[in-house]
Amino acid sequence: MEPDAQLVQGCLRGEGPAWEELVRRHTRRVFNLCYRFTGNSTEAEDLSQEVFLRIYRTLASYRPAFGAFPTWLTSVTRNLLVDHYRRTRRDRLTDSIEDAMPKLENKHSAARTPDKLALASELSGQLQHGLSRLSPELREAVILRDLQGLDYSEIQTVLEVPEGTVKSRINRGRIELARILEEMGLRPQN
Amino acid sequence: MTDWNCASTEERLSDYLDGILSPAEAAEFSAHAGGCDPCGKLVAQVGGLVHQMRALDALEVPPQLISKILDSTVGPRPQSVGWRRWFAWIPQLWQPRFAMGVATVAATLLIVLYTTGMSPAKLKKADLSPANVFRTANRQVHLTYARSAKFVNDLRVVYEIQTRLQPDAEPSPSTTPQPAPQQNSQPPAVNPQEKSQTSPHPGHSQARNGTMLASLLRTDWAANFAAIMLADTTRSPR
Repeated sequence: MEPDAQLVQGCLRGEGPAWEELVRRHTRRVFNLCYRFTGNSTEAEDLSQEVFLRIYRTLASYRPAFGAFPTWLTSVTRNLLVDHYRRTRRDRLTDSIEDAMPKLENKHSAARTPDKLALASELSGQLQHGLSRLSPELREAVILRDLQGLDYSEIQTVLEVPEGTVKSRINRGRIELARILEEMGLRPQN
Repeated sequence: MTDWNCASTEERLSDYLDGILSPAEAAEFSAHAGGCDPCGKLVAQVGGLVHQMRALDALEVPPQLISKILDSTVGPRPQSVGWRRWFAWIPQLWQPRFAMGVATVAATLLIVLYTTGMSPAKLKKADLSPANVFRTANRQVHLTYARSAKFVNDLRVVYEIQTRLQPDAEPSPSTTPQPAPQQNSQPPAVNPQEKSQTSPHPGHSQARNGTMLASLLRTDWAANFAAIMLADTTRSPR
Protein backbone atom coordinates (compact mmCIF):
# COMPACT_ATOMS: atom_id res chain seq x y z
CA MET A 1 0.00 0.00 0.00
CA GLU A 2 1.30 3.48 -0.87
CA PRO A 3 2.18 5.86 1.96
CA ASP A 4 -0.58 8.26 0.88
CA ALA A 5 -3.16 5.49 0.86
CA GLN A 6 -2.02 4.42 4.34
CA LEU A 7 -2.31 7.98 5.59
CA VAL A 8 -5.79 8.28 4.11
CA GLN A 9 -6.79 5.06 5.89
CA GLY A 10 -5.35 6.51 9.10
CA CYS A 11 -7.36 9.71 8.63
CA LEU A 12 -10.54 7.72 8.09
CA ARG A 13 -9.86 5.90 11.36
CA GLY A 14 -9.71 9.33 13.00
CA GLU A 15 -5.95 9.51 13.52
CA GLY A 16 -4.96 13.17 13.86
CA PRO A 17 -1.23 12.68 13.11
CA ALA A 18 -2.11 10.93 9.82
CA TRP A 19 -4.05 13.97 8.63
CA GLU A 20 -1.27 16.29 9.74
CA GLU A 21 1.26 14.24 7.81
CA LEU A 22 -0.96 14.20 4.73
CA VAL A 23 -1.27 18.00 4.88
CA ARG A 24 2.49 18.43 5.34
CA ARG A 25 3.25 16.18 2.39
CA HIS A 26 0.97 17.91 -0.08
CA THR A 27 0.63 21.57 0.93
CA ARG A 28 3.53 22.59 -1.29
CA ARG A 29 2.04 20.99 -4.37
CA VAL A 30 -1.39 22.54 -3.76
CA PHE A 31 0.01 25.97 -2.91
CA ASN A 32 2.22 26.01 -6.02
CA LEU A 33 -0.66 25.05 -8.28
CA CYS A 34 -2.85 27.76 -6.76
CA TYR A 35 -0.11 30.36 -6.91
CA ARG A 36 0.84 29.62 -10.51
CA PHE A 37 -2.80 29.77 -11.55
CA THR A 38 -3.83 32.91 -9.67
CA GLY A 39 -0.48 34.72 -9.53
CA ASN A 40 -1.36 36.00 -6.08
CA SER A 41 0.14 34.63 -2.88
CA THR A 42 -2.73 35.62 -0.58
CA GLU A 43 -5.34 34.15 -2.90
CA ALA A 44 -3.22 31.02 -3.25
CA GLU A 45 -3.04 30.63 0.53
CA ASP A 46 -6.79 31.06 0.93
CA LEU A 47 -7.46 28.62 -1.89
CA SER A 48 -5.03 26.07 -0.43
CA GLN A 49 -6.92 26.22 2.84
CA GLU A 50 -10.18 25.78 0.97
CA VAL A 51 -8.76 22.78 -0.91
CA PHE A 52 -7.72 20.98 2.27
CA LEU A 53 -11.01 21.80 3.93
CA ARG A 54 -12.82 20.16 1.03
CA ILE A 55 -10.43 17.19 1.08
CA TYR A 56 -11.00 16.80 4.81
CA ARG A 57 -14.75 16.71 4.32
CA THR A 58 -14.76 14.40 1.32
CA LEU A 59 -11.88 12.10 2.24
CA ALA A 60 -14.27 9.22 2.84
CA SER A 61 -15.29 9.35 -0.82
CA TYR A 62 -11.72 8.79 -2.02
CA ARG A 63 -10.92 5.32 -3.37
CA PRO A 64 -7.41 4.31 -4.47
CA ALA A 65 -9.08 2.77 -7.52
CA PHE A 66 -9.90 6.30 -8.77
CA GLY A 67 -6.18 7.03 -9.13
CA ALA A 68 -3.28 8.10 -6.97
CA PHE A 69 -4.03 10.44 -4.09
CA PRO A 70 -1.98 13.34 -5.58
CA THR A 71 -4.03 13.12 -8.78
CA TRP A 72 -7.26 13.26 -6.80
CA LEU A 73 -5.89 16.16 -4.76
CA THR A 74 -4.93 17.96 -7.98
CA SER A 75 -8.43 17.41 -9.39
CA VAL A 76 -10.03 18.92 -6.29
CA THR A 77 -7.60 21.86 -6.45
CA ARG A 78 -8.20 22.42 -10.13
CA ASN A 79 -11.98 22.36 -9.70
CA LEU A 80 -11.75 24.92 -6.93
CA LEU A 81 -9.46 27.07 -9.08
CA VAL A 82 -11.96 26.98 -11.93
CA ASP A 83 -14.78 27.90 -9.53
CA HIS A 84 -12.65 30.70 -8.17
CA TYR A 85 -11.80 31.88 -11.66
CA ARG A 86 -15.47 32.03 -12.63
CA ARG A 87 -16.39 33.73 -9.36
CA THR A 88 -13.83 36.46 -9.82
CA ARG A 89 -14.13 36.89 -13.57
CA ARG A 90 -16.15 40.10 -13.30
CA ASP A 91 -13.63 41.70 -10.94
CA ARG A 92 -10.77 40.62 -13.13
CA LEU A 93 -12.26 42.07 -16.32
CA THR A 94 -12.42 45.56 -14.82
CA ASP A 95 -8.97 45.08 -13.28
CA SER A 96 -7.38 43.99 -16.53
CA ILE A 97 -8.59 47.12 -18.34
CA GLU A 98 -7.14 49.28 -15.58
CA ASP A 99 -3.94 47.25 -15.59
CA ALA A 100 -3.49 47.57 -19.35
CA MET A 101 -3.00 51.32 -19.20
CA PRO A 102 -0.14 51.59 -16.71
CA LYS A 103 1.46 48.53 -18.28
CA LEU A 104 2.17 50.49 -21.46
CA GLU A 105 3.60 53.38 -19.46
CA ASN A 106 5.55 51.07 -17.20
CA LYS A 107 7.76 49.86 -19.99
CA HIS A 108 9.98 52.92 -19.73
CA SER A 109 8.94 54.14 -16.34
CA ALA A 110 11.47 54.33 -13.54
CA ALA A 111 8.68 54.33 -10.98
CA ARG A 112 8.52 50.54 -10.63
CA THR A 113 8.75 49.35 -7.09
CA PRO A 114 11.89 47.46 -6.07
CA ASP A 115 9.66 44.55 -5.07
CA LYS A 116 8.26 44.27 -8.56
CA LEU A 117 11.70 44.67 -10.08
CA ALA A 118 13.05 41.87 -7.92
CA LEU A 119 10.16 39.67 -8.91
CA ALA A 120 10.58 40.50 -12.59
CA SER A 121 14.28 39.78 -12.39
CA GLU A 122 13.55 36.19 -11.52
CA LEU A 123 12.53 33.71 -14.13
CA SER A 124 9.79 32.62 -11.80
CA GLY A 125 8.33 36.11 -11.79
CA GLN A 126 8.63 36.50 -15.56
CA LEU A 127 6.97 33.20 -16.05
CA GLN A 128 4.18 34.23 -13.72
CA HIS A 129 3.56 37.35 -15.81
CA GLY A 130 3.39 35.23 -18.93
CA LEU A 131 1.10 32.64 -17.36
CA SER A 132 -1.34 35.28 -16.20
CA ARG A 133 -1.81 36.35 -19.80
CA LEU A 134 -2.69 32.84 -20.99
CA SER A 135 -6.31 31.72 -21.15
CA PRO A 136 -7.25 29.59 -18.11
CA GLU A 137 -7.60 26.39 -20.18
CA LEU A 138 -4.11 26.70 -21.64
CA ARG A 139 -2.68 28.00 -18.37
CA GLU A 140 -3.86 25.04 -16.30
CA ALA A 141 -2.64 22.56 -18.91
CA VAL A 142 0.87 24.08 -19.00
CA ILE A 143 1.07 24.35 -15.21
CA LEU A 144 0.01 20.74 -14.70
CA ARG A 145 2.40 19.43 -17.33
CA ASP A 146 5.53 21.54 -16.97
CA LEU A 147 5.40 22.93 -13.43
CA GLN A 148 3.63 20.11 -11.61
CA GLY A 149 5.14 17.36 -13.75
CA LEU A 150 1.94 15.38 -14.32
CA ASP A 151 1.84 12.99 -17.28
CA TYR A 152 -0.79 13.12 -20.01
CA SER A 153 -3.07 10.49 -18.52
CA GLU A 154 -3.05 12.18 -15.10
CA ILE A 155 -3.87 15.53 -16.70
CA GLN A 156 -6.63 13.82 -18.62
CA THR A 157 -8.06 12.56 -15.32
CA VAL A 158 -7.77 15.98 -13.68
CA LEU A 159 -9.22 17.99 -16.54
CA GLU A 160 -11.76 15.34 -17.53
CA VAL A 161 -11.15 15.91 -21.25
CA PRO A 162 -9.95 13.51 -23.97
CA GLU A 163 -6.24 12.90 -24.42
CA GLY A 164 -6.21 14.72 -27.77
CA THR A 165 -7.57 17.86 -26.12
CA VAL A 166 -4.96 17.62 -23.35
CA LYS A 167 -2.14 17.36 -25.89
CA SER A 168 -3.50 20.17 -27.99
CA ARG A 169 -3.92 22.49 -24.97
CA ILE A 170 -0.45 21.79 -23.67
CA ASN A 171 1.04 22.43 -27.11
CA ARG A 172 -0.87 25.64 -27.73
CA GLY A 173 -0.21 26.81 -24.20
CA ARG A 174 3.55 26.35 -24.51
CA ILE A 175 3.74 28.09 -27.90
CA GLU A 176 1.61 31.00 -26.76
CA LEU A 177 3.56 31.39 -23.52
CA ALA A 178 6.83 31.46 -25.45
CA ARG A 179 5.40 34.20 -27.70
CA ILE A 180 4.15 36.21 -24.72
CA LEU A 181 7.56 35.99 -23.06
CA GLU A 182 9.20 37.08 -26.30
CA GLU A 183 6.82 40.05 -26.48
CA MET A 184 7.86 40.90 -22.94
CA GLY A 185 11.43 40.96 -24.19
CA LEU A 186 12.45 37.68 -22.61
CA ARG A 187 14.06 34.94 -24.55
CA PRO A 188 14.16 31.57 -22.85
CA GLN A 189 17.50 29.84 -23.13
CA ASN A 190 18.29 26.20 -23.29
CA MET B 1 5.38 11.43 -45.61
CA THR B 2 6.48 14.39 -47.68
CA ASP B 3 3.90 17.06 -46.86
CA TRP B 4 5.42 18.00 -43.47
CA ASN B 5 4.99 21.75 -43.22
CA CYS B 6 5.15 24.61 -40.70
CA ALA B 7 1.60 23.86 -39.46
CA SER B 8 2.45 20.26 -38.69
CA THR B 9 5.65 21.33 -36.95
CA GLU B 10 3.70 23.66 -34.69
CA GLU B 11 0.98 21.07 -34.13
CA ARG B 12 3.40 18.28 -33.18
CA LEU B 13 5.91 20.47 -31.35
CA SER B 14 5.01 19.21 -27.86
CA ASP B 15 4.98 15.60 -29.03
CA TYR B 16 8.47 16.17 -30.34
CA LEU B 17 9.64 17.84 -27.11
CA ASP B 18 8.03 15.13 -24.96
CA GLY B 19 9.63 12.46 -27.14
CA ILE B 20 6.43 10.72 -28.20
CA LEU B 21 6.89 11.07 -31.96
CA SER B 22 7.66 7.92 -33.91
CA PRO B 23 11.25 7.78 -35.23
CA ALA B 24 10.01 8.50 -38.76
CA GLU B 25 7.99 11.52 -37.61
CA ALA B 26 10.86 12.78 -35.49
CA ALA B 27 13.18 12.61 -38.48
CA GLU B 28 10.75 14.58 -40.65
CA PHE B 29 10.22 17.09 -37.85
CA SER B 30 13.95 17.65 -37.45
CA ALA B 31 14.46 17.90 -41.18
CA HIS B 32 11.80 20.60 -41.50
CA ALA B 33 12.84 22.56 -38.41
CA GLY B 34 16.44 22.47 -39.57
CA GLY B 35 15.59 24.00 -42.91
CA CYS B 36 12.84 26.45 -41.92
CA ASP B 37 14.03 29.49 -39.95
CA PRO B 38 10.71 30.44 -38.24
CA CYS B 39 10.10 26.79 -37.27
CA GLY B 40 13.67 26.35 -36.02
CA LYS B 41 13.31 29.48 -33.90
CA LEU B 42 9.95 28.32 -32.53
CA VAL B 43 11.34 24.90 -31.58
CA ALA B 44 14.31 26.52 -29.81
CA GLN B 45 12.08 28.99 -27.97
CA VAL B 46 9.46 26.55 -26.78
CA GLY B 47 12.08 23.89 -26.04
CA GLY B 48 14.01 26.40 -23.92
CA LEU B 49 10.85 27.45 -22.10
CA VAL B 50 9.85 23.88 -21.28
CA HIS B 51 13.38 23.13 -20.09
CA GLN B 52 13.39 26.18 -17.84
CA MET B 53 9.96 25.47 -16.41
CA ARG B 54 10.93 21.88 -15.58
CA ALA B 55 14.10 23.09 -13.88
CA LEU B 56 12.24 25.64 -11.78
CA ASP B 57 12.06 24.81 -8.08
CA ALA B 58 8.63 24.72 -6.53
CA LEU B 59 7.86 27.76 -4.40
CA GLU B 60 8.25 27.42 -0.66
CA VAL B 61 5.07 27.15 1.35
CA PRO B 62 4.44 30.39 3.27
CA PRO B 63 5.03 30.01 7.01
CA GLN B 64 1.89 29.34 9.01
CA LEU B 65 0.00 27.97 6.00
CA ILE B 66 0.17 24.40 7.28
CA SER B 67 -0.92 25.54 10.75
CA LYS B 68 -3.79 27.52 9.23
CA ILE B 69 -4.90 24.49 7.24
CA LEU B 70 -4.75 22.25 10.30
CA ASP B 71 -6.57 24.84 12.38
CA SER B 72 -9.33 25.20 9.80
CA THR B 73 -9.79 21.43 9.49
CA VAL B 74 -9.15 19.74 12.83
CA GLY B 75 -9.32 22.94 14.91
CA PRO B 76 -6.64 24.38 17.20
CA ARG B 77 -4.36 21.63 18.39
CA PRO B 78 -3.40 21.50 22.05
CA GLN B 79 0.07 20.16 21.37
CA SER B 80 2.59 20.03 18.59
CA VAL B 81 4.34 16.89 17.45
CA GLY B 82 7.88 15.64 17.90
CA TRP B 83 10.62 17.32 19.87
CA ARG B 84 8.74 20.63 19.91
CA ARG B 85 6.32 19.11 22.40
CA TRP B 86 9.09 19.00 25.00
CA PHE B 87 9.78 22.71 24.65
CA ALA B 88 6.19 23.84 24.22
CA TRP B 89 6.10 25.16 27.79
CA ILE B 90 8.88 27.72 27.20
CA PRO B 91 6.74 30.37 25.47
CA GLN B 92 4.33 30.13 28.39
CA LEU B 93 7.03 31.57 30.67
CA TRP B 94 6.86 34.88 28.84
CA GLN B 95 3.19 35.30 29.58
CA PRO B 96 2.67 38.28 31.96
CA ARG B 97 0.38 36.25 34.21
CA PHE B 98 3.00 33.59 34.83
CA ALA B 99 5.78 36.15 35.29
CA MET B 100 3.67 37.98 37.90
CA GLY B 101 3.09 34.72 39.72
CA VAL B 102 6.80 33.94 39.76
CA ALA B 103 7.61 37.45 41.03
CA THR B 104 5.05 37.13 43.84
CA VAL B 105 6.35 33.74 44.92
CA ALA B 106 9.95 35.03 44.83
CA ALA B 107 9.04 38.07 46.93
CA THR B 108 7.21 35.90 49.46
CA LEU B 109 10.16 33.52 49.73
CA LEU B 110 12.55 36.43 50.25
CA ILE B 111 10.36 37.90 53.00
CA VAL B 112 10.09 34.52 54.71
CA LEU B 113 13.85 33.98 54.43
CA TYR B 114 14.68 37.36 55.93
CA THR B 115 12.13 37.14 58.73
CA THR B 116 13.45 33.73 59.74
CA GLY B 117 16.95 35.15 59.70
CA MET B 118 18.29 33.28 56.71
CA SER B 119 20.12 35.41 54.23
CA PRO B 120 20.78 34.01 50.75
CA ALA B 121 23.89 36.21 50.56
CA LYS B 122 25.41 34.54 53.62
CA LEU B 123 24.44 31.08 52.48
CA LYS B 124 27.34 28.67 52.31
CA LYS B 125 27.62 25.34 50.61
CA ALA B 126 27.73 23.59 53.97
CA ASP B 127 24.37 25.14 54.90
CA LEU B 128 22.72 23.21 52.15
CA SER B 129 23.55 19.78 53.61
CA PRO B 130 20.39 18.06 54.92
CA ALA B 131 21.66 18.00 58.51
CA ASN B 132 22.33 21.73 58.51
CA VAL B 133 19.06 22.53 56.85
CA PHE B 134 17.28 20.52 59.50
CA ARG B 135 19.25 22.13 62.31
CA THR B 136 18.57 25.64 61.03
CA ALA B 137 14.90 24.92 60.55
CA ASN B 138 14.71 23.35 64.03
CA ARG B 139 16.46 26.34 65.59
CA GLN B 140 14.15 28.78 63.82
CA VAL B 141 11.08 26.90 64.93
CA HIS B 142 12.26 26.91 68.54
CA LEU B 143 13.22 30.56 68.39
CA THR B 144 9.87 31.50 66.96
CA TYR B 145 8.11 29.42 69.61
CA ALA B 146 10.17 31.03 72.40
CA ARG B 147 9.44 34.51 71.09
CA SER B 148 5.73 33.92 70.91
CA ALA B 149 5.75 32.33 74.38
CA LYS B 150 7.53 35.38 75.75
CA PHE B 151 5.05 37.66 74.02
CA VAL B 152 2.12 35.83 75.60
CA ASN B 153 3.80 35.90 79.03
CA ASP B 154 4.46 39.62 78.78
CA LEU B 155 0.92 40.18 77.73
CA ARG B 156 -0.28 38.26 80.76
CA VAL B 157 1.85 40.37 83.10
CA VAL B 158 0.50 43.57 81.59
CA TYR B 159 -3.06 42.39 81.99
CA GLU B 160 -2.32 41.41 85.56
CA ILE B 161 -1.04 44.91 86.30
CA GLN B 162 -4.01 46.38 84.53
CA THR B 163 -6.50 44.37 86.59
CA ARG B 164 -4.69 45.25 89.87
CA LEU B 165 -4.71 48.92 89.01
CA GLN B 166 -8.28 49.07 87.88
CA PRO B 167 -10.28 48.61 91.17
CA ASP B 168 -8.84 51.78 92.80
CA ALA B 169 -7.98 54.86 90.81
CA GLU B 170 -5.03 55.68 93.10
CA PRO B 171 -2.35 53.08 92.61
CA SER B 172 -0.25 52.01 95.55
CA PRO B 173 3.30 53.37 95.56
CA SER B 174 4.66 49.88 95.73
CA THR B 175 3.48 49.15 92.26
CA THR B 176 6.34 49.93 90.00
CA PRO B 177 5.77 51.06 86.48
CA GLN B 178 7.84 48.22 85.21
CA PRO B 179 5.83 45.18 84.08
CA ALA B 180 8.43 42.80 85.49
CA PRO B 181 9.96 44.57 88.46
CA GLN B 182 11.30 41.54 90.28
CA GLN B 183 13.62 40.67 87.43
CA ASN B 184 14.83 44.22 86.98
CA SER B 185 17.77 45.34 89.08
CA GLN B 186 17.96 48.75 87.42
CA PRO B 187 15.98 51.73 88.63
CA PRO B 188 12.58 52.10 87.06
CA ALA B 189 12.78 53.41 83.57
CA VAL B 190 11.42 56.87 83.14
CA ASN B 191 10.76 58.60 79.96
CA PRO B 192 12.87 61.64 78.98
CA GLN B 193 10.11 64.08 79.85
CA GLU B 194 9.98 62.76 83.38
CA LYS B 195 13.72 62.94 83.65
CA SER B 196 13.89 66.56 82.65
CA GLN B 197 11.52 67.72 85.39
CA THR B 198 13.12 65.73 88.19
CA SER B 199 10.90 65.98 91.18
CA PRO B 200 12.27 66.56 94.72
CA HIS B 201 9.70 63.97 95.91
CA PRO B 202 10.59 60.63 94.47
CA GLY B 203 7.52 58.92 95.98
CA HIS B 204 5.20 61.40 94.40
CA SER B 205 6.92 60.98 91.10
CA GLN B 206 6.52 57.21 91.27
CA ALA B 207 2.84 57.55 92.03
CA ARG B 208 2.40 59.87 89.06
CA ASN B 209 4.33 57.49 86.92
CA GLY B 210 2.06 54.64 87.92
CA THR B 211 -1.06 56.64 87.22
CA MET B 212 0.21 57.58 83.86
CA LEU B 213 1.04 54.00 83.05
CA ALA B 214 -2.36 52.83 84.29
CA SER B 215 -4.16 55.37 82.15
CA LEU B 216 -1.93 54.39 79.32
CA LEU B 217 -2.69 50.74 79.85
CA ARG B 218 -6.37 51.37 80.13
CA THR B 219 -6.59 53.06 76.78
CA ASP B 220 -6.28 50.21 74.33
CA TRP B 221 -4.50 47.14 73.25
CA ALA B 222 -1.89 49.09 71.31
CA ALA B 223 -0.83 50.63 74.57
CA ASN B 224 -0.40 47.19 76.08
CA PHE B 225 1.76 46.24 73.24
CA ALA B 226 3.84 49.41 73.65
CA ALA B 227 4.33 48.61 77.29
CA ILE B 228 5.54 45.13 76.48
CA MET B 229 7.96 46.50 73.99
CA LEU B 230 9.21 48.98 76.54
CA ALA B 231 9.70 46.22 79.08
CA ASP B 232 11.36 44.05 76.54
CA THR B 233 13.94 46.65 75.56
CA THR B 234 14.76 47.74 79.08
CA ARG B 235 14.96 44.31 80.62
CA SER B 236 17.42 42.26 78.69
CA PRO B 237 19.55 43.17 75.76
CA ARG B 238 19.72 40.17 73.46
